[in-house]
Amino acid sequence: MSGFVRPAAPRRRDRATPESVTRKVARNVGVPLLSIVLLLALWQGIVVYFHVAPYIAPRPRQAVLAVTQNWSTLWPLVLGTIRETVYGFIAGAALGIGLGVIMAKVPVLQRLVYPVLVLSQAVPIIALAAPLVLILGFSVTPKVVIVAWIVFFPVTVNVLDGLSHVDQDLVNLARVYGAPRWRTFIQIEIPATATPLFSGLKIGATYAVTGAIIGELAASDGSSLALYQEHANTNLNTAAVYGTTMLMTVIGISWFLLVVGAEVFATPWQRRTVARRWRRGDRSEDEPAR
Amino acid sequence: MRLRRITTLASAGALAVSSLVLVAGGVSSAATTTITFAYDFPGPDFELTPVVVAQDLGYFKAVGLNVNVSFPPDTSSTTKLLTTNSAQIGFLTTTDMGVAVNAGAPVLSVANYSMRNNWALFAKPGTKLTPGNLTAALKGKRIFSYGDTWTESMLPFVLRYAKLKASQVKIVTAPTGNDLTDLLAGKVDISTSTTNYEIPGFQGSGTKGTEVQLLGTKVGAPDIPVWVYAVTRSYAASHGATVKAFLAAVKKATVWAAANPVKAAADFSKAYPKSGYTNAYNLEGWRLTIPFLTNAHHQYFVQTSAQWSTLANALKSIHLINTVPTPTTYYTNRFLP
Repeated sequence: MSGFVRPAAPRRRDRATPESVTRKVARNVGVPLLSIVLLLALWQGIVVYFHVAPYIAPRPRQAVLAVTQNWSTLWPLVLGTIRETVYGFIAGAALGIGLGVIMAKVPVLQRLVYPVLVLSQAVPIIALAAPLVLILGFSVTPKVVIVAWIVFFPVTVNVLDGLSHVDQDLVNLARVYGAPRWRTFIQIEIPATATPLFSGLKIGATYAVTGAIIGELAASDGSSLALYQEHANTNLNTAAVYGTTMLMTVIGISWFLLVVGAEVFATPWQRRTVARRWRRGDRSEDEPAR
Repeated sequence: MRLRRITTLASAGALAVSSLVLVAGGVSSAATTTITFAYDFPGPDFELTPVVVAQDLGYFKAVGLNVNVSFPPDTSSTTKLLTTNSAQIGFLTTTDMGVAVNAGAPVLSVANYSMRNNWALFAKPGTKLTPGNLTAALKGKRIFSYGDTWTESMLPFVLRYAKLKASQVKIVTAPTGNDLTDLLAGKVDISTSTTNYEIPGFQGSGTKGTEVQLLGTKVGAPDIPVWVYAVTRSYAASHGATVKAFLAAVKKATVWAAANPVKAAADFSKAYPKSGYTNAYNLEGWRLTIPFLTNAHHQYFVQTSAQWSTLANALKSIHLINTVPTPTTYYTNRFLP
């Protein structure tokens, strides 16, 4: 008998039964959709039951119509907000990752910079918006800076946290095998940071649209989604106010879901206990390596 | 016998005490009516001076009112505060009244606050900004706007006077910005505001020279009142006496504050020490407001059909309202003192 020990066959109830696509869709899409439908029904019920005037709060249908009927006007504004959000998010994420890595590698710098980073987040972003406009003008730049300002901090903190909790045994093992520092960083430290990094990115993605809207409200040359909403509010067009709020929410959720999608793609080990084998002739990804 | 006397005395005493309590309660509830006055801005500023003076000098108390002042969360919510009965009397711009009525809000203007239009264009000291050179002064330039209905309504008149289209200027809209800061920083070429707010701000900035101003009424903007006192139609119908009492007290306070600007500004500064404005700013602002409080006949508060008709046509021409209703849809003078 050789030393090879064949793993015990999983018991019947432990075997993963493939879930039908319909059930999967129902669970992952149907339930969240149902909660949204219930929320809209509650909204409709309150407005109808309490006879709320349209200029105080519209019915959901009126809010949706305020968007669909003005879609040709709103579409370019939505694109503008998405552009500010994406640019700001990318800039903030890049800055956050860079700062996190540098601070983790240079402890003196971490002690020097970290308090400033915390201070930067204590500054109310609304108070920051006006000076930024004065310095950077009314273009897209101050909006991008505001979004980046919001996004970079959770990313930096999470990257820093991830790098300071890398399994030291793995790092030591790599050293024993003579791995250069850059290789240890690429193959051990970066994968170890992925999970906290995506946590930071998801937090940033949630707030990124808020940053873009604050920036748009501070000043815009021309029109923007936030200004459209502000004008609607000034003119007691409450349906448009609610409609644009829904649009902003959709942008925020979409961006969050995109980041979640990127996380799923970039960190496959979170969903599989066994790494995918890409060699030809591989029959089953769940089959243990021999 | 003794017991009976004690019982009688006790009963009489209890009756006397309860009568006293009832009478006192009755007197206090009959004597004072508490109402909430909603301002048009999220914080207090010098245009609130008449209400502050009426509180401070006891004019409200004299007419049986206890007036609480509330501030809306944004500059568009005073109408909503009125229609939800969170406030009974409000302070609105006439353009806000116009869009509110258009949206179906049952609001009614009961008195003018100011009688004429003091909205103006402003430029840095040394800039040439006159009716004669308006086209050159505006063409291709950056014009600041807070995005409020008043500026939205007035700017088209000015552009029409200058024979310019909206596409020939760059309107920078900043609801949370500051027109003066952007002007002085060179981020815009022209700012827009009312004279009573702009000039004290410029003086407080310490900038040398005099800010150039051009009144909107000199370049096509209609000369109509900017601010009014308003109530809901249902409140006007059910609490006419209260509305009348409020206006009587406020008019008395306005007349006094116009005659005693230094004391009035000091009253405001004392009432709102944390408003964020200096007493010098409040005094200058109030001084600049005074000339606009009366009409050509030196009358306070009086509204005219012509002012509302002009306003409604102006709002219609820039598509802020759909139809032009009869002027009486907007106002009544029947509560004026």
